[in-house]
Amino acid sequence: MLVKCPHCGTRPVEEFTFNGDASVQRPASNDPKSMDQWFDYVYLRDNPKGRFDEYAHHSSGCRAWLVVTRDTQSHEIFNVVTARDYAKKRVAP
Amino acid sequence: MPEIFQRASPLADIAIQGRFGADHGAPGVTLSVRHPALIVTVIARKGKAKTLAEALKNWRGATVQWAGAEQYFVLDRPFDEVRKKLDGLASCSDQSHGRVIIRIEGPKVRQVLCKGTPVDLHESEFEIGKSVLTQMAHVGVHLTRVERDAFELSVFRGFSESFWEWLTEQAEEFGYQVI
Ligand SMILES: [Zn+2]
Repeated sequence: MLVKCPHCGTRPVEEFTFNGDASVQRPASNDPKSMDQWFDYVYLRDNPKGRFDEYAHHSSGCRAWLVVTRDTQSHEIFNVVTARDYAKKRVAP
Repeated sequence: MPEIFQRASPLADIAIQGRFGADHGAPGVTLSVRHPALIVTVIARKGKAKTLAEALKNWRGATVQWAGAEQYFVLDRPFDEVRKKLDGLASCSDQSHGRVIIRIEGPKVRQVLCKGTPVDLHESEFEIGKSVLTQMAHVGVHLTRVERDAFELSVFRGFSESFWEWLTEQAEEFGYQVI
């Protein structure tokens, strides 16, 4: 399985450390009333079949945090962006 | 200020000079340890990546190597000089004691290194002066092509001994010398 790092080019998946769903968003509020949102954010994860945005750290390469979009069933990789670009795009869609 | 500590190479007693491995013909590769070395990690401050890249261009006496997004290794200049020159542009940290640079050169250099990394080392893909970060034998390696048939491998000090063992094992079939 090959992942195309935006900084390093195509590398084997062994060079990366995966760290779960990138689509979850940290609640903005610390208000106790937002406990349910926090519970969701910390503990609850979907287990989608198909397209999935996932954090990946290029731990044995440039050490950048990336977001890899892949198919959880076929493992086809659609897109790889830096986590920075992913976050920026989310703030200003 | 007096120099209190003398930096010892972790490979001082390991990288013994001589000819090893296959003993027919010229050695396939020649290995040497760059010691002592001046190594500074430089990471761009927020929004300063472009200005930093400009500042690092044409720096006489320094060797600047790419080491990740908006990060570099500056070699051959003392830490204080690097920090002063890049003040406000980058965070700098002295790695001279923390990393070991091994030079490997010779006609079989590509054959030796490609046993450890999936990175394409052919000249058409990997030109002189280019650096990559990769893994060899489970050790993180900063790899730079310094000449057509010469590379420098920079590894963390604590991994250098086992990395040296692995590297020399790969070179055995071609015959190698340590200088
Ligand atoms: Zn990378």
